[in-house]
Amino acid sequence: PIPAPAMECRVLSIQSHVVRGYVGNKSASFPLQVLGFEVDSINSVQFSNHTGYSHWKGQVLTADELHVLYEGIKLNNVHHYDYVLTGYTRDTSFLEMVVDIVQELKRANPNLVYVCDPVLGDHGSMYVPQNLYPVYKNKVVPVADIITPNQFEAELLTGKTISTEKDAVEVMDLLHAMGPDTVVITSSDLPPRLGDRFLVSLGSQRHVRPDGSRTTQRVRIEVPKVDAVFVGTGDLFAAMLLAWTHHYPNDLKTACEKTFSVMHHVIQRTISYAHDLAGPGRRPSPPQLELRMVQSKADIEDPAIVTEATVIS
Amino acid sequence: RLNRRTVMECRVLSIQSHVVRGYVGNKSALFPLQVLGFEVDSINSVQFSNHTGYAHWKGQVLTAEELNVLYEGIKLNKVNHYDYILTGYSRDTSFLEMVVDIIQELKKANPSLVYVCDPVMGDHGAMYVPEILLPVYRDKVVPLADILTPNQFEAELLTGRKINTQEDAIEVMDLLHKMGPETVVLTSTDLLSKHGDKFLVALGSQKLTKPDGTNSNQKICMDIPKVDAVFVGTGDLFAAMLLAWTHLHPKDLKTACEKTVSVMHHVIHRTITYANDVAGPGKRPSPAQLELRMVQSKADIENPSVVVEAKVL
Repeated sequence: PIPAPAMECRVLSIQSHVVRGYVGNKSASFPLQVLGFEVDSINSVQFSNHTGYSHWKGQVLTADELHVLYEGIKLNNVHHYDYVLTGYTRDTSFLEMVVDIVQELKRANPNLVYVCDPVLGDHGSMYVPQNLYPVYKNKVVPVADIITPNQFEAELLTGKTISTEKDAVEVMDLLHAMGPDTVVITSSDLPPRLGDRFLVSLGSQRHVRPDGSRTTQRVRIEVPKVDAVFVGTGDLFAAMLLAWTHHYPNDLKTACEKTFSVMHHVIQRTISYAHDLAGPGRRPSPPQLELRMVQSKADIEDPAIVTEATVIS
Repeated sequence: RLNRRTVMECRVLSIQSHVVRGYVGNKSALFPLQVLGFEVDSINSVQFSNHTGYAHWKGQVLTAEELNVLYEGIKLNKVNHYDYILTGYSRDTSFLEMVVDIIQELKKANPSLVYVCDPVMGDHGAMYVPEILLPVYRDKVVPLADILTPNQFEAELLTGRKINTQEDAIEVMDLLHKMGPETVVLTSTDLLSKHGDKFLVALGSQKLTKPDGTNSNQKICMDIPKVDAVFVGTGDLFAAMLLAWTHLHPKDLKTACEKTVSVMHHVIHRTITYANDVAGPGKRPSPAQLELRMVQSKADIENPSVVVEAKVL
């Protein structure tokens, strides 16, 4: 059943804008709006397309320019948000300005939920400047409420390697101790039970019961691997996790099932289309692999559950 | 019902403003077009905190050179292929001239490209852009346009003819056809409606070439209920929805206009109801409260029930 629209739920999303394609704000806004969220968006850059194409051109927003935009919102007394959403950044001063803004917005609304994708790297190496790492660790993650690191980022932030599921649980507990009550490790190298065509994701959510005691729900999800490089999927994931944790605030299992299922539908539609376009035996190009976002509207609105999350201890 | 097949793979390039909060320019055009299944590439000509009807606004503008750089990125990747271009409010002649250059090049790449142009210059007898934009619109922009959505004042400025009667309006639309666009919609006029002063009169004219090579011309007239409020972004929504509904009803301006005007009615009605609720009894809603209820109007955007009938003249 399609949930009732998220009436009067306002998100501030600070991410990249690309003229063509679906990354950053282009990946996050449409699906959130389709689900009824009001999305205010600050574009941290404007590029022709994402940087996986042969060429890209455009302009970046400075920390000062970000501040000027926020000042405009504040002067009009409309700096009231239920959520803040951030993703890929390359600039420490920009990230620090984001932290200042989040802190001020949390003072204006103490119930604000900050959803943060701490984009640092993957598969063992950083793909942002190294000096972002201490900013994420010491300033950003402590104000985050929901974070979506991959295994590499989770290891980097906690200084602990993940070789087993037990390690992953410990790392998620360490991340909780740093700030966020909800942690989803979006992908890992842990051995899947369903075989090597799957990858393992894990989630952990801390709650405080009415009597003041703490409880933690932990889940494990196995998702089919896809033989292609997608860009913008992490941004879509964080946006959809925002939406589904909003609808299921105490049920990480369901929130993750919906989020991972949406991802599956969008990715399947995208890969089918890309292969059709590229032709038999040819690898699709970055333009051909752009997410089939507008074509996936029905799946975004009401995702059929195709992946089950297992509650783990 | 919506024929998805005819919208698939229809790519629009929209060059308009971006506001962090609210619905004008690209914020007003993108969501409804995407909801209808169009692929929309968007170049943000400015990034402001909000539209300029609020007490305060802050932000940055894109220069003509920066616009060219973004276009170059698209071109270098050989993805400069569009079915539609959509432009609106602009304040800068060099920017507008760069837009013209880009459109000319895109029309060479795709001779079937349709340029939907809202020649925003002013209203109610006064210009609200620099006067120097008029010759650029008249001599360079309008000749390239295929669909034009001037109000009465803009139509008079472009043709040098005053509109006092319906006959005048028809002559002005014919003059505009001669300047370039095959489809012209006078979005609002001061003409007296037969339903009284709570209605305004809009007119449209479409030139078609029949299969046998002869020309035909459909002219329509609509009486639209007035609303006692100042909205911002409605013209941008109108142009975007006229793009969509003329795409879906290419030889039927009557139906395209009925659907477009009906969507406007539903969105405006929902907006004014909400704004009055939020403002409270006896209080005039603020600009922030009058932002279009865009995401809440998704169902009306997808499948507008027709509430205004167009009369064929």
